[in-house]
Amino acid sequence: MINRTLAAFIKKELLQALRDPRMKFILFVAPIVQMTLFGVALSNEVKNIRLAARFDAKDMVMRQVYDRAIQGGWFVPARAAGAGTDDPFELIRSNRADAVLVPPPGGFTRALGRGGAPLQLLIDATDVNQAQAVEAYLRAIIQDVLKDDAGLAPPAPTIRLDVRVLFNPSLNTSLFMVPGVMTMLMVLTTLVLTQIAIVREKELGTFEMLISAPVSKAEVIFGKTLPYVIIGMANLPLLLLVAVFVFHVPIRGSLAALVLATLVFVCTTVAMGTLISTFCANQQQASMGGFLFIFPAIMFSGIIFPIENMPASLHWLSFIDPLAHYLTLLRNIMLKGGDARTLAWHIGVLAVLAIASGVASFRRFHTTLS
Amino acid sequence: MNGAVSISVREVCKSFRRFPALHGVSLEFEAGRMHGIIGPEGSGKTTLLRIMLGLLVPAQGRVEYFEDGRPADFEALRPSLAYMPQTQSLYPDLSIDEHLEFFRDLYSLPREIYARKREELLGVTRLAGFVDRPAGQLSGGMYKKLGLMCALLRSPRVMVLDEPTTGVDPISRRELWDLLYRLLDENVLILVTTAYLDEAERCSKVHLVELGRVVAAGEPRRLLEVEGARSFDELFMRRAAASAP
Repeated sequence: MINRTLAAFIKKELLQALRDPRMKFILFVAPIVQMTLFGVALSNEVKNIRLAARFDAKDMVMRQVYDRAIQGGWFVPARAAGAGTDDPFELIRSNRADAVLVPPPGGFTRALGRGGAPLQLLIDATDVNQAQAVEAYLRAIIQDVLKDDAGLAPPAPTIRLDVRVLFNPSLNTSLFMVPGVMTMLMVLTTLVLTQIAIVREKELGTFEMLISAPVSKAEVIFGKTLPYVIIGMANLPLLLLVAVFVFHVPIRGSLAALVLATLVFVCTTVAMGTLISTFCANQQQASMGGFLFIFPAIMFSGIIFPIENMPASLHWLSFIDPLAHYLTLLRNIMLKGGDARTLAWHIGVLAVLAIASGVASFRRFHTTLS
Repeated sequence: MNGAVSISVREVCKSFRRFPALHGVSLEFEAGRMHGIIGPEGSGKTTLLRIMLGLLVPAQGRVEYFEDGRPADFEALRPSLAYMPQTQSLYPDLSIDEHLEFFRDLYSLPREIYARKREELLGVTRLAGFVDRPAGQLSGGMYKKLGLMCALLRSPRVMVLDEPTTGVDPISRRELWDLLYRLLDENVLILVTTAYLDEAERCSKVHLVELGRVVAAGEPRRLLEVEGARSFDELFMRRAAASAP
């Protein structure tokens, strides 16, 4: 299938892409740096919550709750409040604390002894996710304190759930986020580079010479796109090394399945990049077009927000989003070991998306200038 | 690879978004001659070439191709047409040798033929000392010569050049023309556009194009005699003065 013309194209394209030291950096160094940075920084774990609590030195239970919260690592003490900040509401309003625990009058310990214990918790909910996490953390801490230290029976919930977290028992968010970051980096390199490579030929005027040469349309298209499939695949081992050795993400499934899934995904993004570039006349339009694709593609992929949280009427957007399928594949293969049904389904959908956008770009790819 | 090619353009019209570029242009181009399409900028020269090369579709009229006088199919002839566009059309980051190798493979040239051609072309263009230099760092004349070399690698039967001498110093211009004359000996149909009117006299037949119309055609000296002008400069200046309000 690969004839001499096609080989010449691939060689030329790789030569151009790999000659420029800046390009080499973008292709091979930037993904590793970004992968490491994003893997560390992108976490939906809520940390460093500034907690304030006003209590009497003799209020032992209250002290234990506060100390345990700080020791747990999620909370940090709110900065020592100045004068006139006894008002817990004021602490939050003036952004000196994210959460304030207010014991009942007379202290929490005494209130518990009397049987009733209305402990007030004020949370800054300008960030809803954080507020929910804070509430859950503190509820758990208070229950623990009451049970372990104070020797009191915690208020019994009506239903007890025995939760077992599978595949990621410590709820390590990097296990969850690293496949997401990998997905984003893969689409960035392959889609954007393909677009720029095609549009640059139009801009340079070399396109006019190519289409007037005795070269078939298929040879031009495959010659321009296959190199970026190769480059995308070359990125996979680099990203996997970071995932495994820096973030200790396991690869429980087969490496072959991972490579196959990546190959199909990269073909899809390269085909979509080609399709977008058929609408663009210059590199500015290409970058804008790429951005218009990548931004919603990330949003609907489930990397940041779970697809389940989106209205059902918009789920089809995730269905046609190649990132959503690749993300599922990566998480499934790396964390769960990959079951044949899930793999076959998502790889199948990706292949259909690749073929559809491939056919569309083939139709739109003109070998005339008009 | 031996039939002589001739081309007739019949009543071709083309416009871009209501802006007309060609109004019923008819032209005849014969094998083994150097045809010059001469006219000021914006007269429709490039559009005409692009239509002849199948890069643009005419709104009306047609282009007919002949091989040894018999009608021939464009797609069959297409591989023997070579084109050197007017705009920059080389990869600034690839060297002269890398360009030649890319086009060698694009045209599927056998190695030994390539080696002979490369030697010959580098000799004529005197670019042998610069084979490792990226196209982006070549001077205007060297750049055009490299474009011509890429087009000539595959021994075309029709060579179409859009303003090959624009932005080229006088010595390189002369070399480019010498390179083209060599092709005539091989019975190649050469089509050159130029806005340098003095170059018209280098062609064996000139076609004067103005505002999308062919205003005159013939051998350069005969044409000047008929029009009663001493040079093409004078001819165009006079026409421009006549058409001015």
